[in-house]
Amino acid sequence: MDVAQSLEDILEELVSVQKQVNKLKTASVSGQTLRRSIKELHKRWLPIGGVLESSSVVDQGQLREVSEAWLALVKLAGNASPKKHYKSLLKDIVSKTEVGLLHRFIKGSAIQTVGDALRRLVQPVSDPALLGYLEESIRCAETNCVRASVVLAWCAVAHVLHRKLTSLGLATLNSEFGKMKADKGLMFRGFSKDYSFSTDLDVQEAADAHLILLCRFLMYLDDTQYKHLKSALDLRNGCGHPTGYQPDPIKLQAYYADIAQLVLLNPKFT
Amino acid sequence: MLEKLKADFDAIIELVNKTPTSLQETAFKMILEQWFAANTIPKPVVTTPAPSPNAISSPPGGIPDAIKPFLTANAITAEILEKVYHPTGPGAQILASDIPGTGKATKMVNLSLLLCVKQALESGHFTCTLKELRELAVHYDCYDSPNFSANLKTNKNYYKPRDKGADLELSGPGLKRAGEIIKNIATGD
Repeated sequence: MDVAQSLEDILEELVSVQKQVNKLKTASVSGQTLRRSIKELHKRWLPIGGVLESSSVVDQGQLREVSEAWLALVKLAGNASPKKHYKSLLKDIVSKTEVGLLHRFIKGSAIQTVGDALRRLVQPVSDPALLGYLEESIRCAETNCVRASVVLAWCAVAHVLHRKLTSLGLATLNSEFGKMKADKGLMFRGFSKDYSFSTDLDVQEAADAHLILLCRFLMYLDDTQYKHLKSALDLRNGCGHPTGYQPDPIKLQAYYADIAQLVLLNPKFT
Repeated sequence: MLEKLKADFDAIIELVNKTPTSLQETAFKMILEQWFAANTIPKPVVTTPAPSPNAISSPPGGIPDAIKPFLTANAITAEILEKVYHPTGPGAQILASDIPGTGKATKMVNLSLLLCVKQALESGHFTCTLKELRELAVHYDCYDSPNFSANLKTNKNYYKPRDKGADLELSGPGLKRAGEIIKNIATGD
């Protein structure tokens, strides 16, 4: 059963019933046709409700509320009942089905397939260290932990950045940071930090924002690439700290496409 | 390479002159792009990404060949395309933070057209599954579930005839409209 399609069809017809009820000039709904169509719609709802009951992506509390509202609606349709009761029940069912059930179901089904999409994006990565982070990140995404997935994928990016920058040699790295600090160009004049690394591990302590700015300074990235990587870092920071932001699987795919192209598969970082 | 360009230049100009005056500049630019793509020896790439099962032939990091007739017919340059999709090949994602359109219905239809082009960048086919369209429509807040089917039906001329629930595939008018939307997004209209 295509649950999304079936729910859309029921919603379409419920909205049509809603319009007909609103149009009535009487205080009660007594017409047999309208009442019969409500009972028919309920019969079509039952198997969908059954599928949703066994779904882990739908809030079962919301589903119970919608099912109870349906029962109340069918009971109303048994006799000529006040229009205002119909109106409130129909409104309740439509809004809860749309947002609480259907939207969640769609997001949930995106979660179920997001792993394949992400794996395709990073398929050419072969470095075992990176694969460790990425596989863990993808497993997080598959269990709907999107924020954790974003943070772990950034670990792979940070790993590549550290490896590339330390490969320059610490003396060169210190000197390049010094040159960047002295640069008064539009992009670099806000950078004022003094870095002096004495071991490779010190580089891991540097702010990622400064490391990617240095990558721009060293021309590993052009302005547009830097801008996109900075956005990816902002998303990582938003997910790694207590904020109210909840990225969805679509955002995660875009994030993966960016980090893969800009760093993980960028020949300049090998 | 310059010698070859000199030799081919007259033929290029002849081709350009066959297009309407208002499109000649764009046509010249696009033909030159194609000429350079065809006559430049690609630089060796350090990493060669393994193609995905649905991937189509495309130069590394470049625009897939299968979508080029669509781009040429709609005067969409690589520069324009890069403002809407990233990357402009397999793995493409829509860059826009908002989909053009005044209401949910128009936005959802425009999104479906953009998704078909996104799929073409991936596989060469201008198609889109309803599942993907619903997911993206929820993401872009243009999913009007009670009217989802009705909105697609109202704009059925953009898609090839299909059964209910089947994937969307762009028709001629759909391709044309998709081209217009891409240009609108790129120019910020």
